[in-house]
Amino acid sequence: MSEWVGVALFIMAGLAFGVVGIGVSFLVHPRSKNRYKLETYECGIPVEGSAWGRFKAQYFTFALIFVIFDVEVIYLYPWAVSFVQLGLAGLVKMFIFIFILVLGLWYAWKEGALEWK
Amino acid sequence: MNIDFSLITTEIALAILGLAIFTLGLIIPRSARKGLGNIALLGLIIVLGIAVYSWPNQGETLGGMYIVDHFSSFFKIVGLVAAILVVFGFRRYVAANVGNYLEYYSTIVFATLGMIVMISAGDFITLYLGLELMTISFIVLVAFRSFDVKSLEAGIKYLLLAGMSSAVLLYGLSLVYGATGTILFAEVAQSIIDGSGGLLLIIGLVMLIAGLGFKVSAAPFHMWSPDVYEGAPTSVTAFLATGSKAASFAILIRVFVGSLTGIQEHWVMLVAVLAALSMLIGNLIAIPQTNIKRMLAYSSVAQAGYIMVGIVAASQSGVKGVMFYSFIYVFATMGAFTVVAAVYNKIKSDEIADYAGLAQRAPLAATVLLVCMLSMAGIPLLAGFVGKFYLFMAIVDGYMWLVLLGLIMSMVSVYYYLRVVLVMFRDDPVDPTPLKMETSVTITLLIALGVTVFLGIYPGPLSEIANTAAQSFFTP
Repeated sequence: MSEWVGVALFIMAGLAFGVVGIGVSFLVHPRSKNRYKLETYECGIPVEGSAWGRFKAQYFTFALIFVIFDVEVIYLYPWAVSFVQLGLAGLVKMFIFIFILVLGLWYAWKEGALEWK
Repeated sequence: MNIDFSLITTEIALAILGLAIFTLGLIIPRSARKGLGNIALLGLIIVLGIAVYSWPNQGETLGGMYIVDHFSSFFKIVGLVAAILVVFGFRRYVAANVGNYLEYYSTIVFATLGMIVMISAGDFITLYLGLELMTISFIVLVAFRSFDVKSLEAGIKYLLLAGMSSAVLLYGLSLVYGATGTILFAEVAQSIIDGSGGLLLIIGLVMLIAGLGFKVSAAPFHMWSPDVYEGAPTSVTAFLATGSKAASFAILIRVFVGSLTGIQEHWVMLVAVLAALSMLIGNLIAIPQTNIKRMLAYSSVAQAGYIMVGIVAASQSGVKGVMFYSFIYVFATMGAFTVVAAVYNKIKSDEIADYAGLAQRAPLAATVLLVCMLSMAGIPLLAGFVGKFYLFMAIVDGYMWLVLLGLIMSMVSVYYYLRVVLVMFRDDPVDPTPLKMETSVTITLLIALGVTVFLGIYPGPLSEIANTAAQSFFTP
């Protein structure tokens, strides 16, 4: 059971980290209520309209296309690190992988997902 | 870790086919994309040829993560045959109701790839990879008629419920891994023999049954199937009911009969209850249906119940029964759905009442629907009877109650199948003009008819093949 003591300590330290932080801040922070204090984002862009407003669905396709390259980079890094060990076989596999991803981008391009209409 | 490429030629060929269809579709102009259907058909036939040719190849690769034996080869052939029939028999339907050939045909090929990867899985990761490739492809396919509210509803339902079932399955897999310390099926089996187990393993096992039960639409995890079957394009419904189901049964057998045999006493009764529930719910709720796709959906829940009987047996004869039944079920279901799609093309309706007088308007379609339904009901001299005979013979000692329930429920199913037949043959058509079927539909119908009748009269060779394949499964 002793190996779990570390885990328990870790959980307790994690909890303490949050609780102490919020607690101390609650005790010492200055209390002033004004208009800016009550805004949704105290030091951000001013809020416009209601949360139920409609926005363009095309943001979504851009996010998806972003994911293509995001995932690509995740796999490129470990491959680049062990490039020498993987050798030619690794290079070929990576080209197949990137080919499939590029196919996805090509498709998105052809379907007009990259144009803002 | 070396890869033995000779064992995975089928998979590589299928992946190349899917990418080739996609690339070609991007290069050629939009108006020429219609021809992609022919390329998909030709390619799938070649891949089927490769799969049949590599039947003697057996072995494991990727350190046991990928198993190729007669059992997996058999189910791969079943899945590929289903894909070929879907691409061939529904060409007109796809052209008239679905469109988007590039996306449609490449997604069909990738769904098939997911199936055959899952069938050959030797560990939980490969299982999940194949399962998700198949499921995500099907989510796309189900929602393909994006202008049709019903299709979108079906897509959303399938997305949410498939996501949930995947979560349950993954949790179950993680618990089995936690209890046994390995993800390889072979090592899980060894670890159970060595005495690992306990409550954790059993909870994991129950979750596995729930997750895979969703895929084969066994009651009480069948709730999604009527809505999804009704809303999806008929071609996709047919593929979902045959390929997806057969592949999920293959992996169900691989996991339960193959690697969890050591704790058989914990799951056999559970599967038996699920089988009984599926037969009861599927057959009884099918009776009041007025939409033929919904009726076939409930009937497919009942069919899942019959097939699960073979898993209850957990023996060579049970596995053989499942294999035989899966094979004939593909043809019977494809025949029925091809008729539904072909009739929908002409009269734009899936209501059973609108099938009135179909025997006069399209005699071949009505005959094929009759034969396929009677086969599913298990009438002698048709393949379904032989299949049910093999399944129920496997459990006749020990589970007599399940056999009796199966027989009674088969009788019940005759009622609702014959109700459709009655409408088709007895009632006079509102509009007596003959419905002319396309050549591809006619050929598909003749194949379905021929196989169903032939295997009913002469089941010997297929039964022999299934038997040897099941044997290779039990003596590794």
